[in-house]
Amino acid sequence: MERVVITGVGAISALGVGADVNFREALSGNSGIGLLHCSYANELGFDVVAKILTPLPALIAKTEAPLFDRVSLLALAVAQEAYAQSGLNVDPEQAVRSSVFWGTGLGGANTMEVAYEDILLKNKQRARPMTVVASMNNAAAGQIAIRFGFGGSVNTYSSACVSSAQAIGEAFRHIRDGYAERAIAGGSEALLTHAVLSAWDAMRVIANTDTAHPERSCKPFSKNRSGLVLGEGGAAIVLESLTSAQARGATILAELVGYGASNDATHITKPDPAGQVRAMEMALSEAQLPLSAIDYINAHGAGTVAGDAAETSSIKTAFGEHAKSIMVSSTKAVHGHTLGAGGALELIISLQALRANAVPPTAFLDDPDPACDLDYVPLQARHNRELHAVMSNSFAFGGSNVALIAKKLTA
Amino acid sequence: MSSFPTVAKLLADRLDIDLNAITPETKLESLGADSLAVIELIFDLEDEFGVKMGDERPSLVVVQDIADIVDVLVANKVQS
Repeated sequence: MERVVITGVGAISALGVGADVNFREALSGNSGIGLLHCSYANELGFDVVAKILTPLPALIAKTEAPLFDRVSLLALAVAQEAYAQSGLNVDPEQAVRSSVFWGTGLGGANTMEVAYEDILLKNKQRARPMTVVASMNNAAAGQIAIRFGFGGSVNTYSSACVSSAQAIGEAFRHIRDGYAERAIAGGSEALLTHAVLSAWDAMRVIANTDTAHPERSCKPFSKNRSGLVLGEGGAAIVLESLTSAQARGATILAELVGYGASNDATHITKPDPAGQVRAMEMALSEAQLPLSAIDYINAHGAGTVAGDAAETSSIKTAFGEHAKSIMVSSTKAVHGHTLGAGGALELIISLQALRANAVPPTAFLDDPDPACDLDYVPLQARHNRELHAVMSNSFAFGGSNVALIAKKLTA
Repeated sequence: MSSFPTVAKLLADRLDIDLNAITPETKLESLGADSLAVIELIFDLEDEFGVKMGDERPSLVVVQDIADIVDVLVANKVQS
């Protein structure tokens, strides 16, 4: 079995473009959440989102534009950043041993909505010709494979909020078990469209707007938390076998050592601590690390009343006495819930924390829920903390739970 | 009234090339218009002129070929 390491990271969210930018903003507690400015905002029962306002890197020719839904543009941008950082330049022989593992909750949502509008509302005779290939759920993964010439297996995971965490975990196993030497793994989500936002509105899980400070509307672990804030995002990592990374003299950012996956199998939306505990314990067992080795957990922490309470309970159960000593924060307060991209984005923030020995805070946590009584790193980042291993949690509608553990590379 | 100016403008826009480089005799192939680009262009033209090109694709070699088809469809539309 191969050890698996990370050699490149790429991220884009409401915090900005680039993994370093995302970490810097998360560390400072600067929020990318803001008011939704669109023609239909008045129809919705909420008006805050975490939209990517910075222009995307120009990575495709204008002639290719019809093939790329926004979800695929985000995917290319972050895959490009991660690949560039890795220093990889795969030759044809390596290409067939290079895979893609991608996660997305809803795929090409914008393209689908335009097609429905054209056909159902505008009575056009047909949808735009590239609708299928731009909106199909594997489009982002396919475009990544084409861009980098990756001819191994190209896999798309769609499991709501764990999608990209699951993609990374499965890529980890794929390389560990020798099916490929390297993989681009991550996820993207771009679903801030009229109908999709209306659907989310109907679930009544979106946070109330903090009218004085809309950017503070997502308040994980707070007494007055009121729900999640939807966000767009993309995040990618380059995973390689330790053998192949060392053979080419790569700069290794961290080692991925544990992947736990479980399903609650109880309710389609309500979180179940028991399932979350199993995922965390599975990751810890695989990593062969004592509980005390985990210094920081990037929580799922979406800011829902039920979710944050359940996660507090599950962390306490999984870590026992050590739970109180772990720094735990939710960066969703500043980048929102990026759904299919969230697992990867939050793992990357955890990796940046590991490398910088600096822990991002849970922003806006000035009035904690007494029931959420772990060290949730309120308001201020913690610097100069020697971090050995970090965990990132993701929990989803559908009941899936994923925990990923990374540590600094040691011999 | 020929649809050529509109066809040329849409081609220039979609293929990201200089409008002045497009004449009625310009070969589509030389503009880098592959089959996907032509399909997208036809969609744009259907929208622009409110016509339907139909599923039969006659041979489209030069830009004027496209304009000719559009001209016929627009003329038919006006008549009906």
